Amino acid sequence: MNSFRKLLDRVEPRFREGGRWSRYWPLYEMVDTMFYVPATTAPGPPHVRDAVDMKRSMVTVILALLPALLFGIYNTGYQAAPGEHPFWQLQTGIGAVLPLVLVSYIVGGIWELLFAVTRRHEINEGFLVTGLLLPLTLPPDIPLWMVAAGISFGVVIGKEVTGGTGYNIFNPALVARAFIFFAYPSEMSGDAVWSLADELTAATPLAVASSMPGLEGPQLVREAGYTLQQMFVGLIPGSVGGTSKVAILLGAVVLLVTRIANWRIMAGGLAGMTIAALLANWMAPSFDNPALWLSPLHHLLMGGFAFGLVFMATDPVSASQTDSGRWIYGALIGTLAVMIRVLNQAFVEGVMLAILLGNAFAPMIDYFVLRQNIAKRQRAYAQQ
Amino acid sequence: MSIVRIRKGHNLRLEGVPAKKVYRADGPGVVVLSPQEYKGVKPRLAVSEGDRVEIGSPVWFDKRRPELLCTSPAAGTVTSIVWGERRALQSISIDVDSREQYRSFSSWKPGIDASRSTEMISSLLLESGLWPVIRQRPFSRIADPDVLPKAVFVPAMPTVPFAPDIHLQLEGREEEFRTGLMLLSRLTRRPVHLVISADNRSRVFSGVDGVELHRFSGPHPAGNVGIHIHHIAPIRHRDDVVWYVLPQDVARIGGLFLSGRLPVEKIIAVGGEAVEHRHHVAVRYGMRLSDILAKNTVHEPARLISGDVLSGTKRSADEALGFYDETVSVIPEHHGREFLGWLRPGRDRYTLTPLFLSSIVRSRRRRLDTAMNGSRRVMIPFGNIESVLPMDILPTWLIKMIIARDIDEMEKLGIYECDPEDFALCSFADASKMEISDIIREGLEYVEKNG
Repeated sequence: MNSFRKLLDRVEPRFREGGRWSRYWPLYEMVDTMFYVPATTAPGPPHVRDAVDMKRSMVTVILALLPALLFGIYNTGYQAAPGEHPFWQLQTGIGAVLPLVLVSYIVGGIWELLFAVTRRHEINEGFLVTGLLLPLTLPPDIPLWMVAAGISFGVVIGKEVTGGTGYNIFNPALVARAFIFFAYPSEMSGDAVWSLADELTAATPLAVASSMPGLEGPQLVREAGYTLQQMFVGLIPGSVGGTSKVAILLGAVVLLVTRIANWRIMAGGLAGMTIAALLANWMAPSFDNPALWLSPLHHLLMGGFAFGLVFMATDPVSASQTDSGRWIYGALIGTLAVMIRVLNQAFVEGVMLAILLGNAFAPMIDYFVLRQNIAKRQRAYAQQ
Repeated sequence: MSIVRIRKGHNLRLEGVPAKKVYRADGPGVVVLSPQEYKGVKPRLAVSEGDRVEIGSPVWFDKRRPELLCTSPAAGTVTSIVWGERRALQSISIDVDSREQYRSFSSWKPGIDASRSTEMISSLLLESGLWPVIRQRPFSRIADPDVLPKAVFVPAMPTVPFAPDIHLQLEGREEEFRTGLMLLSRLTRRPVHLVISADNRSRVFSGVDGVELHRFSGPHPAGNVGIHIHHIAPIRHRDDVVWYVLPQDVARIGGLFLSGRLPVEKIIAVGGEAVEHRHHVAVRYGMRLSDILAKNTVHEPARLISGDVLSGTKRSADEALGFYDETVSVIPEHHGREFLGWLRPGRDRYTLTPLFLSSIVRSRRRRLDTAMNGSRRVMIPFGNIESVLPMDILPTWLIKMIIARDIDEMEKLGIYECDPEDFALCSFADASKMEISDIIREGLEYVEKNG
């Protein structure tokens, strides 16, 4: 390994200021610090620093996503050929999901590098998360060029035009998904997209639940053959990473234990969703909308709610950045997700829009929390 | 009396905690004064090279307020005066004579009537050069003798790493300490807030006229004066002035008035993994680090810090201990690069986050050196910095407003209550490796200049 270090040290001057490849310094910095922790020492007080850095934080998010990714790979194969031997299912799954992830990483990475080089800033590790989040929210059958178009839109419009990582208003992965969703709706919704095999169609539980006016959603879901248990385990059609609530729960535990995701957002989201769902249940007898009958548990287990709340809403940059703001932000997303799912039949999957709306409102929520902090300070001063 | 319990924060567990024994450093051959470490003054020289000085003779004075002096902590000859950039006075070295010669000041008579005593106290403090021990917030500069504060704080519970023991510092000087407290109360006629730790049972601290006793508990920065001010008498605007004096300096004030001589010694702590003997040392003001560590061994490569590891300044051995510093920290300097460090389980990594194995199973080799442990990235608000700031201040927003140079918002978000030392743990904990203390300092300098 020493020779690799020596090689890096030898080429370093060429990437430095004045060197021939100084434009590509971000690339060198990425490779260099990826393999070796920088040798820099604390320039001034404090003279000691915590071991944590952005790489460690982001790799923890990847770790939390792994169960969902691995289960997604298996489930993709399982849905394509339920009767096959698990080994072949796994192989099919890898064959379908791996290209999605690779395309997302490679195309997105090129954009990231391009912006880092022209803007002269370092490549941010946050991209590793964005690049993995997007494929997990897509149907496995989606054409690769759409993934490329989507991640390009997400990275450029969702992130770089507002100043890059840390300055984005919306979660870039969700922007990418929204782009694909609205630009190519036929590949993102409907019954045919969820399975690799063209002759197989499978409606997701969420689509089933709102299909027959006048009936009760939960009953429709049951009759379509989806039990709550199945939806919890996740061997059902759906987006690559979003079906298994077990895998998502594992990820949530990792994110919460490591305090990478803020528990207030998740708790607020669950609370908002529960209240909105109960309210819908209460109104259900007076209308013939079957989705009104869906219990909070159904909402939690169906569609992308759990995945979105755990991995998307908790993005620290696009979420509210104050503690009380995070509660409000989470609750807003939970409520909106149920509202869109239940009331707007055109978008059965409301979580994506709910989170994007939550992102849009986050700065305003923070603004009011901030004003409150200021007012509180003024009061404390006045009491003196 | 209620206890203010601080919950947010962290006590760094570093190797090399100083033992509770006081050694006396050998009399130094030379003392060095560095006017640049005093904030809020423009120093003008009162001596030239070759001049003889006594203990308590003026060395430099403030250009705007000539009555504000700094005096020599040793009797001897001025040997060298070093000027820095733009003719800023950088350092003054004094060769110390073997014979101590004190300039004598009028000592204080308890019977003096109260109205005269205020004036007398301040003029004696100014004349003796002891005034600079009184600092003010906001801006942590030397207190303005013409503006009375709303309160005086004496923080007597340091929680910084390797902090000297408060009882050792005041041992045998109880009388002087209590006199000093009383003098501060007389000088300002405002409440003097003495803050001690919740488990302090000593009787030295109670029962002084005009002094309010407070108890704080919790991890660092519970002992920082900025945290005390925030919880007891928050600073409302830039002219809402609070003074603060370190307990040892309170005792020096008392000592000056009782004896008529300028006390020139202080008890400091020497600590850190990279120094052989960790203990308390009685040193003279202006002593160089090499003299303080003369009988000690430093294991190179090491960083010498005048002050504590969180807020002290890096110094070379021939520079002097800072005027306000009560710790010499010697910690291992980092070198080398770890392969794939961010991917390792990290049983031996020191961190406040639960992202490494060390938060479950801790290796005995877990230690801290001067490594940055990562590279500078944009601000991602994971909440690391909020978890170590026990103030009702939103640091992320304040930092953003400082970077945006928005004075109005900075003021509303409470910049005047802030001091870099209170944000040191934020810099420590930040995953983006931002220099948060420096940003706070820049913000304060900016509002001080342009506000």
